[in-house]
Amino acid sequence: MNERAVSATTDPAMLTLGEAAAAIRDRKLSSVELTAALLERIKAWQPKINAFVRIEADSALELARACDAALARGDIKGPLHGVPLAHKDMYYSAGKPAGCGSKVREGWIAPATSTAVARLEAAGSFRLGALHMAEFAYGPTGHNPYLGHARNPWDSERITGGSSSGSGAAVAARLVPAALGSDTGGSIRLPAHFCGVTGFKPTYGRVSRANAMPLSFTLDTVGPLARSADDCALVMQAIAGPDPLDPTSTGAPAWNGDVAGGSPGALKIGVPTGFYVDDLEADVANALDAALTTLRSLGAHIVKVDLPDQTAVAAAALIVLAVEATAAHAPWLRERADDYGMQVRARLENGLAYSAVEYLEALRWRGPALAAHLEAIGDVDVIIAPASRAAAPTIAETDMGGGPNAEATIVAITRFMRPVNYLGVPSLVVPAGRSQGGMPIGLQLVGRPFRDERLIALGRAFQAATGHHLAVPVLSS
Amino acid sequence: MPDVDPDRIRMMAEAARVPLRADAPARIARAVAPTVTRFGAEKLALALETEPSTFAVVQRREIEP
Repeated sequence: MNERAVSATTDPAMLTLGEAAAAIRDRKLSSVELTAALLERIKAWQPKINAFVRIEADSALELARACDAALARGDIKGPLHGVPLAHKDMYYSAGKPAGCGSKVREGWIAPATSTAVARLEAAGSFRLGALHMAEFAYGPTGHNPYLGHARNPWDSERITGGSSSGSGAAVAARLVPAALGSDTGGSIRLPAHFCGVTGFKPTYGRVSRANAMPLSFTLDTVGPLARSADDCALVMQAIAGPDPLDPTSTGAPAWNGDVAGGSPGALKIGVPTGFYVDDLEADVANALDAALTTLRSLGAHIVKVDLPDQTAVAAAALIVLAVEATAAHAPWLRERADDYGMQVRARLENGLAYSAVEYLEALRWRGPALAAHLEAIGDVDVIIAPASRAAAPTIAETDMGGGPNAEATIVAITRFMRPVNYLGVPSLVVPAGRSQGGMPIGLQLVGRPFRDERLIALGRAFQAATGHHLAVPVLSS
Repeated sequence: MPDVDPDRIRMMAEAARVPLRADAPARIARAVAPTVTRFGAEKLALALETEPSTFAVVQRREIEP
């Protein structure tokens, strides 16, 4: 552990995932001490930010005691031994509720455990509770009329981003060291950007989606939100790789810790023209410029890239998402549509409007669109792009009753997200500065398919050079 | 340009057996029109042999040995 980590053991909640796991392994900290510190912090923050849907204090402390007893016997389960985690409430744990942010699934008990959670538990972590999410993961802001909205730890009047709203808020407020989110149209990357944490959307197929709630089987990805690229790598090391329960993961390479933990080398980084850089707010444009300066100093070769028209790619993504989500929800839309919130019901109804031919053309175009993307970027390793055109707007500005600009604001929020899901490429969001108002700004590092580890290596180098990811929100009275 | 008028949406919802409120087809038409129009404007002419799994073929060429 570094000096910061040793001193942070006075408040174990401040430790990163890697630091906490190392401190437990080295017997400088017990799992019970870490769990108790996180529970204490949750108690203080939860009323302000609504990050959790369930806090399982008693069972978590019991599991922590079991971890400490095992360690005393010399029995270390894995690299995350004794670390409590919480995940978006769409990752099933057998015998536990998974409400998926909805009234429709209220009280539903999961019959099986998701592969991602099972793998994290096999690595030694255990469950502290379940985290807030947009209803059925179908919303980019963190609004949820059923659960109450999640609130940004940096300013509770502002959105967290969604749909992994609780994951972003809880990690930012240091209530958990890391959390799983899911990303179908930006749901890991938007909360990472708005809450000032590191979020990783892996290559489609790199992580099993088995026994996680589906939204769009063509676009869904499973990944971590954490305090650093290093911590994202620790989670990826545990969860990545093939799983017979999810055929899309068949043939996916195992995680290469050497590449992720090594130097990124002299990467060629592309800065897109047009779509991703037009109409940015000054704070975001300035953060992008500063990041380019940092990356140059790290030895990166920066070039301009002209990508194929991203508005067409985004439209295809939206058609695929809308139709698949509506098809999945059709039985409930027929029988209990009034149990959905207004925003999600409207989105699900939109999916009725696309024809079968439109849907299948959008689906068939995915391969050619990825080929065109790869041809356009040539030998570029990573594209750098904003995560969103601005820092977090207020909850009121993005509510259904938020006036005529609300829908336009929501559309603008997701503008830079959908192409990445459609192309299935990996994207790491790293904190890259603050707005004039003090809200976090994140940038996307978008990679080539299955080159996830290179993004992590670049993210680690960027974070070592900048320190933006170290900022911690303060609980206001 | 593709037809996204409320009548088409009403018929598609009926075919899917999903009941809609009276004002929903017009709202949906307004919401999806930009996406349908933009996608239609692409005038895709995909090769006969292209299928959804073509994506996996392109994607997996990038796996490093």
